[in-house]
Order: sequence, then structure tokens, then C-alpha cells
Amino acid sequence: MLHLKSIQTLPETCRRATTSLSLSHVASRSFSRQTIASTRTHRSLDRCRTEWTRHHTRHNLLTSSLSPLYRQSTCRRSLHSTAAPQHGPITRPAPGTGIKVHFKDSKGNLIKTVEANEGDDILSIAHEYDIDLEGACEGSVACSTCHVIVDPEHYDLLPEPEDDENDMLDMAFGLTDTSRLGCQVKLARGLDGITATLPSATRNMFVDGKKPTHH
Amino acid sequence: MAPIKLAIIGAGPSSFYVASRLLASLPPSSPYHSALRIHMYDRLWAPHGLVRYGVAPDHPEVKNCVHKFDAAATDPRLRFFGNVNVVASPPVVPLPQSTELPLSTLFSNYTHLLLSSGCSLPLLHPALPPSDHCVPALSLVHWYTRHPSVAHKPPPPLEKLEHISIIGQGNVSLDVARMLLTPPSTLEKYDIPEPVLDVLRRSAVKHVSIIGRRGPLEAAFTTKELREMMNLEDASMEPIDPSLLVVPEGAKLTRQQSRTMQLLQKGSRNKPGTTPKSWSLDFFRSPTGLAPPNSASSSLTRPYTLSLAHNTLSADKKAIPTGETSTLRTSMVVTSLGHQAEPSIPWYDPDLRHVRTVGGRVVDETGRTVKGVYASGWAAMGARGVLASTMIDAYAVADTILADSFPDQIRRENDALASAAGDGSLGELSEVLANKVDLEGIPEEVNKAMASGDVTDYRDWKMIDEEEIRRGEKLGKERERMDWEEARAFLEHARMS
Repeated sequence: MLHLKSIQTLPETCRRATTSLSLSHVASRSFSRQTIASTRTHRSLDRCRTEWTRHHTRHNLLTSSLSPLYRQSTCRRSLHSTAAPQHGPITRPAPGTGIKVHFKDSKGNLIKTVEANEGDDILSIAHEYDIDLEGACEGSVACSTCHVIVDPEHYDLLPEPEDDENDMLDMAFGLTDTSRLGCQVKLARGLDGITATLPSATRNMFVDGKKPTHH
Repeated sequence: MAPIKLAIIGAGPSSFYVASRLLASLPPSSPYHSALRIHMYDRLWAPHGLVRYGVAPDHPEVKNCVHKFDAAATDPRLRFFGNVNVVASPPVVPLPQSTELPLSTLFSNYTHLLLSSGCSLPLLHPALPPSDHCVPALSLVHWYTRHPSVAHKPPPPLEKLEHISIIGQGNVSLDVARMLLTPPSTLEKYDIPEPVLDVLRRSAVKHVSIIGRRGPLEAAFTTKELREMMNLEDASMEPIDPSLLVVPEGAKLTRQQSRTMQLLQKGSRNKPGTTPKSWSLDFFRSPTGLAPPNSASSSLTRPYTLSLAHNTLSADKKAIPTGETSTLRTSMVVTSLGHQAEPSIPWYDPDLRHVRTVGGRVVDETGRTVKGVYASGWAAMGARGVLASTMIDAYAVADTILADSFPDQIRRENDALASAAGDGSLGELSEVLANKVDLEGIPEEVNKAMASGDVTDYRDWKMIDEEEIRRGEKLGKERERMDWEEARAFLEHARMS
């Protein structure tokens, strides 16, 4: 926390950059969990346009299975303005102590109920518990692959989506009134028992065969 | 299950998503784990298709999907062969550095084939044939991504161009407009080659007109891209005739349409007239011709005259001419009207302008399903949709491949495979692929080209990827791209040491 305080005395623009950089590099889970309420790390330094930088805890599960060479390259990438922050995996709380999240499939059948900590986002939780939720842009709000449908009761408790999340939801399949990007839904104590339903993803969207082109 | 030895033509996102799904569906715990081999061929030396050579440089987050592709490529069952151009007939876009591999070679070496070569030809406008002052947007995208097809071609002469007219109102149009209107000092940290930045720094572009034949509710761009235009640092949007922003009574707008209208009504962050550069959305205009300079009215900076027919909307939302016309003085026209697959690819349907498929399975012109042959991504669907739609399609195609390969019993026990299999009756089949193949075998032509260093594998690509990032780091940017000559020299050096 001392670290964060010292950052806050810096000029605004400088602080945004530093906060985001330091999170990309030194964020340990404890650090990030303490600061999650006041820190939202955004994808690139110049896009940290609010004082709250968005913090994505998306751990790239894939990189853990990669050779050191590959891992090095993704780490390097995060030094610059490009990649989503690469963090460690989220930690599972001791059973019975965490916030409960129910994952359901598109037909409404329960996939599993899991527990996670305050500040963890739905995408990271899904990856931690092997739920089949994609995160193609790794939590940087540049795709709609982590689209989930939240139950109405808990949806109303969530902070309003920002413009960039809404822009991506515009393109999500099976959009509903309670749709959100999983990477943007952060757990809070009050969200205990939240249900995240995976939208149906079928190729029916694409009519095979004849479809007139517009040009 | 009989082994699956799959050749994929193309190594773009759709190809990798199919491969990734297949590999993950047959994990080491599966009895069929070792019955799968995937050989991915790309005519370019670098993998990832439009993720490398299409995604706008200032959208680096979109490229994070390559981490998943990298992970798939660590599986020894997947091999990538870059610089191999699989051809059924002489290629439309000749690439001197790539080895040509006849399609028939794949037929005799593989049990399965996936066409995943995308839509790589720009659709042209009949009234606007390409010339030195009328170029497809794809040429500009290729220029700023250093696509191998533009090697040694001159860059666009931006230092002489003051006014650009883009025809088409999709996201590619906005990508190009953004590249032309964003200060180079903002762009220089991204994955944009230094020679491209040099041209952008000398640019004389003051205004970009983005012209569409229909109205704001029909525009193809999405809200993210429109918002980015509205927030440009030193450009502003010319005001739009307010009558065009009135929602017709009784019209039921989609969420995206209403958010687009709100953005348009609000206008750009910078007020019109307060910025050195500007842009406009010109709705209900169809180009009818581009006239060369004439001595009487010649302007050095805007020498060409673009004729536009004015349109209105018919009841079924088609553009119909009102009879009115106008002209626009411009320095260059960029056509951005979408893309189609190359007619030379096998099972190309000229009406669809892409491969003929039903549920991911390729169908020949007589309607017969071609056994073991599939298509995914833009090659199968046409050039539309974002990465998420490509991914969903690719996963469905992978499930179909597995459903067709697995014995009935396994198929029935697995929901995804059961739905991918459909009713299980494919009707009469046409057969082109081999039944028995050497699982580890590589076509002789490819082996030969590999020995002479003309073919890249994924390890080569990762070395180049690392080096590009290292070179970028020195310049304070995301990466500095290599062309094939540099990459080849680098690889030769790396292999020796």
C-alpha cells in the first residue's frame, strides 16, 4: 500500500502510467486485491483516461504451458503499450470462505458452482475452474468472447458498464438486457450467489449457402 | 477412429482456432490423442493471417489472441509450413518467395483438408477502376502492415495528398481514416514500420471524406471504431445534416444502431473548425466516376473530381438514386467495399464469392458433400464478422470434423459432437482424399523447399517474433517488422550460430 500512496502523490498523467506499469510488473495477488477497489488497470497507458485504472487479473493459463522462450516474449510485450497485463492466476479461497459464483450453460443447466475472492473477475474465475469461457483479447475489452448473461438480481448490483464495454457488447451474440463482459464483472461481497450463464454459440448465425452480398 | 491427418490451407485465426479446438478435444488422456496430425500451410512466411496483416496497428489488444495460437503450436501434433502456396491453378497474387504446392499433392498426402484461406481480394467499384489515384483500402492496409505482397512497391504519396475520399463505411474505412488522421507521434509506439511512419510524418492530408451509399442506420462500422474517430486528437467531424440523424417514426433500432445515432448526434470531441484536420461521413452518395484534372479548373492539391449520385432509401432499405448529383474535389480515392475469396481456390462458388459449404462441410457444384473436406472462417462465410464470430465458426467446424471422424457411439455420448453431426446423413459423397497415408509424412516438394531454407516453421516464426519485438523495444515501440529478405537473413544467421 505504501507503494500505491507514493504513486498517488505524482502528477495525474504520470501516476496513471506508473500505476498501470507497476501493476503489470509487480502486482502480486495481495497487492492487487488491496488496490482493486481503487485501481482499474486499462489496456494501454494512453488509454488510462480515468484515475481509476482497470485491473485485469486475467492469467494467461496458456503461457504457463509454454516454453520459457514463449513466455519471455509475452512478458516483454507487456512492457509496452500493447498487451493486456499478464498476471498470476487467481487464488482459490478456502472452501466455504469465498464468494459463490454459479456458472450455467446456455440451456440453463448448472455447470458448476465455484468460490472466488473479492476483486476476481468472472473471466479469470472461469479459467481457474476450467469453465469453457474464451477471453480472446485477455481482458482488454477488445472483443466480446467472454460475454456472459448475469441473473437480473445481481446484474442490478453491478456498476454500469463503461462505453468501451458497451461497444463490445454491441457485437456479442445472444445479447440480453443483463449481458456483461465476464472480464469486467468483478466480485464484491454483495454479489455472493451470482449466476453467470454462457450464451449459446451456434453456427446458426451464419446461414450457409446463398446470402446476398451488399456490394 | 481412423487417424486424422489434416492439411489446413491458411494459417490465420480461423485455422488456428480449428486446430486449437481439435488438439484440445483429443488431450493426452484420450485414446485418440496420437491419431491426430495437423499440417498448416500458409503462402506467407509469417502465420496469423489478418491478425498480423489486417488488425489496425492501434488496436494491439485484438492481437492478444495469438497467445492461444502460440500455445496450440507447442503441441507436436501441429506443424506450420510458411511460404508454401497451395495452388489448384496459377495463383492470382504471385508471391515470388513462396514454394508452389499443387492441391493434388495434398489430396494424396492427407485424409482431411480444411480450406481456411480467407477472403483476400478486395471488392472493386464498377465506376472506380484501380489506378495510381484510386486504390483499394487493402493496399493501404498491406502497406502499413508490411504485407509481403507490397515489397518494393512505392508507398502512397501522402505528402502530395490533401483530401482523401474513402468509398464504403465499414470498419476498414475507419481504420484507414484513423491512420491518416492520428498524429504520427501517437502512432509511433505501435506496431507500424518505420518507413510507414516516415510517410505519415510527411503527410499533407487535411480531410478524409467517408462516403456511403446509404444512411447512418445502414453503416457497417461499429461503435468502438466510430467512437475512436470522434475522439481523434487533432481532427474533428464536419457536422452532419440533422435531418439525417432523425430516427424514422416507427423504426425499431438495434442496440448498436441507437448507440451509433447517439454518437453521431453528439459529434466529435473537437468542435468543427477548431482542428488542423477534419473528416466527414457523407451519407446517401454513390460514386459514378472519377475525372482526371482538366486545365481550366486544375488544382494542384485536389486534382481529381469525384462524381456522386445522391440516394434515398427504398422500403426494403436499398439505395435508390434521387436523380440529384454533386461533385467532390479530391486528391485520391480509396475503395473499401469488402472482400471476397480468390476464385482460384477449390470449390469456389462464383455467386457466393467464397467456398460452397453446408455446416462447415465443403459441397461440390452438384451438391455432393466432399468427404473429409471442410472450410472455415471467411473462406467459408464470406468476409464479415469480427474475431469472435470467426472463433465460434471455427469451433463448430472442429466439432464437425470430429463428429464425422468418430464412431457413432462416441458421437451420441457427446452433446457437442451429436449436434455437430446433425442427422448423420450426408447423402452422396464425393471423394478426393487418400484413405491411407503416412501419418508423419511431409509432401516431397515441401521437404525439398525446407532443406533449401525457403519454408518457415513455427520455431522460425517465434525467433523472428522475438527479434521484431527486440528491435521495436530499441525504438520504444511494440515491434519493428521484418520483410522476408530480412527475416531470411536473420534466420540463416540464427541457424548458423
